[in-house]
Amino acid sequence: MARMKFLCDAERCIECNACVTACKNEHEVPWGINRRRLVTLNDGKPGERSISMACMHCNDPPCAAVCPVDCFLQTADGVVLHSKDLCIGCGYCFYACPFGAPQYPRTTDFGSRGKMDKCTFCAGGPEPDGSVEEYQKYGANRLAEGKLPLCAEMCSTRALMGGDGAVLADIYQERSLRRGYGSGAPGWSTAYGRNDRGSPFAPGGPGTGGA
Amino acid sequence: MRPTRLPLHALLLIALLAVQSLAASTFAQAQLTQVPGQNSPTTKEQVPLYVPQDDKLIGRVSIPDEKLAVLVQPEGREWREWRTHTLRLAIAGLAIGMTAVLAIFFLYRGTIRIHGGKSGRLVLRFNGLDRFAHWTTAVSFLLMALTGVILTFGRPLLIPLIGHQAFTPLAEYAKSIHNFVSVPFVVGLLMIMGLWLRDNIPEKADWTWIRTAGGLFSKAGGQHPEAGRFNAGQKLVFWSIVLGGIGMAATGYLMMVPFAVSGIGGMQIMHVIHGLLAAGLIAAVIGHIYIGTIGMEGAFDAMGCGEVDENWAMEHHRRWYQEQLRKGYVEGRQPAE
Amino acid sequence: MLVKRSSAKAAGAKRSGLVAALADSLESGVSRRGFLRRSGLAAGGIAAVGALPGAMIRKAEAGPILPNVEVVTRKNVCTHCSVGCTVIAEVQNGVWVGQEPGWESPINQGTHCAKGASVRELTKGTRRVKYPLKLVDGVWQRIGWDQAIEEIGNQLMDIRKASGPDAVFWLGSAKFSNEGAYLYRKLAAFWGTNNVDHQARICHSTTVAGVANTWGYGAMTNSYNDIQNSKALLIVGGNPAEAHPVSMQHMLRGKEHNRAPFIVIDPRFTRTAAHATEYVRIRPGTDIPVAWGLLWHIFENGWEDKEYIRQRVYGMDEIRAEVKKWTPEEVERVTGAPGSQLRRVAEALAKNKPSTVIWCMGVTQHTVGTANVRALSILQLALGNIGVAGGGANIYRGHCNVQGATDFGLDVSTLPAYYGLAEGAWKHFARAWDVEYDYLKGRFATKDLMEAKGIPTTRWFDAVLAKPGEIDQPSPLRAMMCFGHGGNTVTRMPEMVKGLEKLSLLVIADPHPTTFAAIKERRNGTYILPACTQFETDGSRTCSNRSMQWGEKVVEPIFESKDDYAIIYLLARKLGFADEMFKHITVEKDRPVPEDILREMNRSCLSIGATGQSPERLKMHMKHQADFDKITMRAASGPCAGDYYGLPWPSWGHPEIRHPGSAVLYDTSKHVMDGGGVFRARFGVERNGVSLLADGSYSKGSEIEDGYPEFTMAVLKKLGWDKDLTPDEMRVIQAIGGGGAEVDNVSWQTDLSMGIIRVALKHGCVPHGNAKARAVAWNLPDPVPVHREPIYSPRPDLVKAFPAIEDRRDFRLVQLARSLQFKVADSDLRQRFPMVLTSGRLVEYEGGGEETRSNPWLAELQQSMFAEINTKDAERLGIRDGAWVWVYGPEDGSKAKVKALVTDRVGGGTVFMPFHFSGYWQGDSLRGNYPPDTDPIVLGEPVNGVTTYGYDPVTFMQETKVTLCRVEPA
Repeated sequence: MARMKFLCDAERCIECNACVTACKNEHEVPWGINRRRLVTLNDGKPGERSISMACMHCNDPPCAAVCPVDCFLQTADGVVLHSKDLCIGCGYCFYACPFGAPQYPRTTDFGSRGKMDKCTFCAGGPEPDGSVEEYQKYGANRLAEGKLPLCAEMCSTRALMGGDGAVLADIYQERSLRRGYGSGAPGWSTAYGRNDRGSPFAPGGPGTGGA
Repeated sequence: MRPTRLPLHALLLIALLAVQSLAASTFAQAQLTQVPGQNSPTTKEQVPLYVPQDDKLIGRVSIPDEKLAVLVQPEGREWREWRTHTLRLAIAGLAIGMTAVLAIFFLYRGTIRIHGGKSGRLVLRFNGLDRFAHWTTAVSFLLMALTGVILTFGRPLLIPLIGHQAFTPLAEYAKSIHNFVSVPFVVGLLMIMGLWLRDNIPEKADWTWIRTAGGLFSKAGGQHPEAGRFNAGQKLVFWSIVLGGIGMAATGYLMMVPFAVSGIGGMQIMHVIHGLLAAGLIAAVIGHIYIGTIGMEGAFDAMGCGEVDENWAMEHHRRWYQEQLRKGYVEGRQPAE
Repeated sequence: MLVKRSSAKAAGAKRSGLVAALADSLESGVSRRGFLRRSGLAAGGIAAVGALPGAMIRKAEAGPILPNVEVVTRKNVCTHCSVGCTVIAEVQNGVWVGQEPGWESPINQGTHCAKGASVRELTKGTRRVKYPLKLVDGVWQRIGWDQAIEEIGNQLMDIRKASGPDAVFWLGSAKFSNEGAYLYRKLAAFWGTNNVDHQARICHSTTVAGVANTWGYGAMTNSYNDIQNSKALLIVGGNPAEAHPVSMQHMLRGKEHNRAPFIVIDPRFTRTAAHATEYVRIRPGTDIPVAWGLLWHIFENGWEDKEYIRQRVYGMDEIRAEVKKWTPEEVERVTGAPGSQLRRVAEALAKNKPSTVIWCMGVTQHTVGTANVRALSILQLALGNIGVAGGGANIYRGHCNVQGATDFGLDVSTLPAYYGLAEGAWKHFARAWDVEYDYLKGRFATKDLMEAKGIPTTRWFDAVLAKPGEIDQPSPLRAMMCFGHGGNTVTRMPEMVKGLEKLSLLVIADPHPTTFAAIKERRNGTYILPACTQFETDGSRTCSNRSMQWGEKVVEPIFESKDDYAIIYLLARKLGFADEMFKHITVEKDRPVPEDILREMNRSCLSIGATGQSPERLKMHMKHQADFDKITMRAASGPCAGDYYGLPWPSWGHPEIRHPGSAVLYDTSKHVMDGGGVFRARFGVERNGVSLLADGSYSKGSEIEDGYPEFTMAVLKKLGWDKDLTPDEMRVIQAIGGGGAEVDNVSWQTDLSMGIIRVALKHGCVPHGNAKARAVAWNLPDPVPVHREPIYSPRPDLVKAFPAIEDRRDFRLVQLARSLQFKVADSDLRQRFPMVLTSGRLVEYEGGGEETRSNPWLAELQQSMFAEINTKDAERLGIRDGAWVWVYGPEDGSKAKVKALVTDRVGGGTVFMPFHFSGYWQGDSLRGNYPPDTDPIVLGEPVNGVTTYGYDPVTFMQETKVTLCRVEPA
């Protein structure tokens, strides 16, 4: 079973925001919810690099660990999903997430921020695959149709890649070798660990919490 | 507009600067002819998959949501450790520890009796307003403590019992109660401050009280150090509640309006403060409840009906009692001359 | 952790197909590496999904919107930039519900930028114009189509009667399809004016003029894909990372695969420069000194391609003389670029060949735009890089069909396909359109006006405000028909507003109301017609690399909108010439059929080889995209085998002879029937006794192994090849020649039988002749490009040494240049306006931006207009990042209130503002002036509110990149 991951090749990313609008388009994500975003480091200076960032679907997701109602689940592919039926909008996942991925419909409503929303790796939610309820709550379920996340599929320079971590690692390494240098794939080690040299992520392994 | 950098932990900023200068130097290696340098990998396997420094990265975003300019915040890991372990350990440890200590103490000392027995004459200790303030604070504190405990411990303790479907509404209510009950708590807090602050200013005599531990361990009884309206132990509780309460309210409200005054780093710190204060206060309140109920005969009356027995007052708050006596507030006695 | 996903197993089983597809390929015989290569994965990511069987890729039956409703997939082309990305639309019940990557497209290979990934929103159209509108006393009133056409038509006829046909300005659009552009040009011709223009005027008109005057055709010579063959890339005045993001895919692959130097020359450290191996910061407006500075090192070190220059370039010695002046010290003095750095760049270009030069509006939008373009072209000629795969002048056009709209004549100076306006050109089109030449002549005020260049879009308001004597036509402009064109795209907006106020009729046909509709000075006489987007109609569009792609109608025009064909037809019918104009074009339900329009174009547009691209062939290409190679763009198998994708023009002759198109222009290494070519013999055969024809250079397989002139009957006869013409062809040629001696003058361009072309091709010759490229273009104001300081020069000390061109008249108007420049230099303006203002693009928005600022998915990403200010300047002026500032311009007391973006991206003393914003005017919101529910989500000050006078002498291109300004905290 593939272990689904994201990899953003900083050498390739040109901050074109295709990933962001592809996500908005595919899931009809409302204004103000940024499931995916672009961050530019060293803006305007030599060494400027941009990174597309969303939920990285970590091996050992901190969001899931800190959720007071235990609403997260990790599929056999390693995709981190959550149940909006269970979510109470407490915001703890944002505290724990290294990547600022969780989004909330409201900023302040005396403590109730609405159901958390985040990147689903285009894998919908706990509802039956392709159901209307699933689409309304979480957006499209491309994975169930044999397709990968649209952000990565539409990336203008193939900087953002999504799919089997082993394949991504291989592509990235081959690419870096070919160009002679690599300026990194920020977030990868934070999400998938330092020793995770493309080894497939075993379901039920230490990172899944038994899922 | 693109936001500026958020002020965050100075230490991490220093680390960030180090990372960026490192990163800049690697970018600078990409020269015109793109000839691989000496340290460039020669096989695919040598290419690392990540930037080895995965420290905080802050950049610029075009969207107005400035907090999203933080690309990677590794402190999330420490906060997670806090939230999943340290916090639970602190609350449960202190609460259980306090209960255990009290239990042992109870076994050793039992209920502290009024040494001279009940006189039957009553002294007014807390009037209606006093009691209203106390109970407003107390009830809202207990509610918030309970709901806080549900949110903190519900996942390991309640979900296995009642299941996810039932726990979510419980948690949802718990969260709402926790948030809304904070209002009466703050009102109560302000009231008790207004009413009792003057009597809780530490004084020299408190030192004696503390040195002798208030005579709690003298089994013979009646060996109470002198005390005014509030003894040092009570002052300790008062200041714990007041200062802790203010701290909890401040951090709590700031967390209710996320990102209003700080970035995620500040909110994590606020949550830690909130949690530590909660742990301490819960333990303190357990002690307070003990001594106010089964720990001591006659103590509950002070907050129950507001009047205490003359002997109790004499034993525990001699200075205050004498003052009351002087003012003629003791039932059935003439003001002393 | 919660384990709830009951369907995980089932989902896993479904997905296992994907995984299996990956795994199978990895294990079965093919090594992983081989697999990755083959699937394009190694080069570019997750394209492997494209290799999955079709069934895998189709949407699951239980779709997200409506379960159990059939999903139809339609293929169109992105309407935003000239890269030409294929858009795959999934349609349910006539509603566009999903957008998928077009993996098979050789151009974008499934990828998009922010705009491309958001085009589905266009057909949701919450902010679109929904029905025809009329402005009555400042209030928008809903009207019907019949009433709108009736009233507009009557007013046009009245104006025609009172002031002549030239009083109407027909502004077309680069967002038309080819067919729409051609039809609109034809409409203007039948109306009787050359006052017909479009956005190319303000984006690449100088490129077209400069490049066509150098080697024959005004277009990108190679293709985006071909950049993967480049060994070095030089980008001057372009920011493809924001303007053409998908092109960066090819550029970065070229950079990575070939370890190619990637050099960016720009006043601003752009997002493209962030990926460069070398970035050269120059003072805005000094491109010629930089080009000559590079050539100085090339000539000094003997790095030029001497044999290439001998065989294929005319006049390089005159260039050498000019270049000699530009020593490294002088270049550094004028441009600010260090000599040592330029030497490094010159060496990189000369020693890593083929090297390509890429430019955009940073080069073209100048008072010396044409000369800039020519200087860079000459640089490439000196290096022998033109006509070589991996080399070339890769000029990135702007809008999705600005190339096609230019090709098909939406231009004040030419009929379709660059035939010009001379009598011969009109006669050619009279024959092609099957109308009498005299009929067309009768439509114009005079024959002189019929052959005189019209008023360009950069100056239309000057033509409105002109007094009758100041303008070389009977009347100032009184009406403007504005199809698909933003109102904030030309400089000097304060003047534009005055012009707008004075127009008696303004018609806006657009999916969005545009800035024109929101200008508060107009209270009556404005109509808005809801035109649909290209996703709601069909037709072909030409990408920057000259490939034509057929877009399929995705959904029916939404609300009451109509496509351009229908609107043009309704106008023509009302104006009374529909029968003549649509003589050979089928009209179904008041809508001309685009296939028929394209066929008429194929019959008439011989000069650029727009003849082989029949609708049938274009549709076949779209259908079999997967057969085309991702780098050469050539199909190896399938029904299109041998063709280049989209039949990039020239695709010579009738579609039946199956010319494959020309992926690389002027490429002598290929047979002409293989897409080979030579420089065009467009400027005679000799000058001052020096031959202009190529010397010993010819395309592969040519029977004439030397230069030769363009083919006419006379040339054919001389060669004895006239016998190869069929009797039918001879008959047509005789008829065109009128039977007499004129027959010898019938050329490949006017021979509607295409016999001359066919015969030339048969002998391996290129119909347009085989000449040298011109380093010296004697017909231009500056035959050898020379540096001229901008009108509002930040260096008054250099103005006398590098003065602007003398004041002159052209395009029916006066052009001020040197007098104004000297006046500015001699005044204290520089002290009052100490900063240089330049403008440019953002990736999220396009052009005037009304369309993209109305799209919530894009608008969210850039919510305010800003000005980039250098950190040191900001510190000095006390401006905080994100604070409001006023930017003052030197003309008309103009000003704009914007947010400050403090960054080192711009150099000290330079201010950069994006040009996509509008809807604010000098601090005030114009939101209330838009028709209800059509105001774009994001509004902002237009940069052109503060830009100034300055025009290129050849095309009247506006100067948008260098002017002066002052910034103050607001």
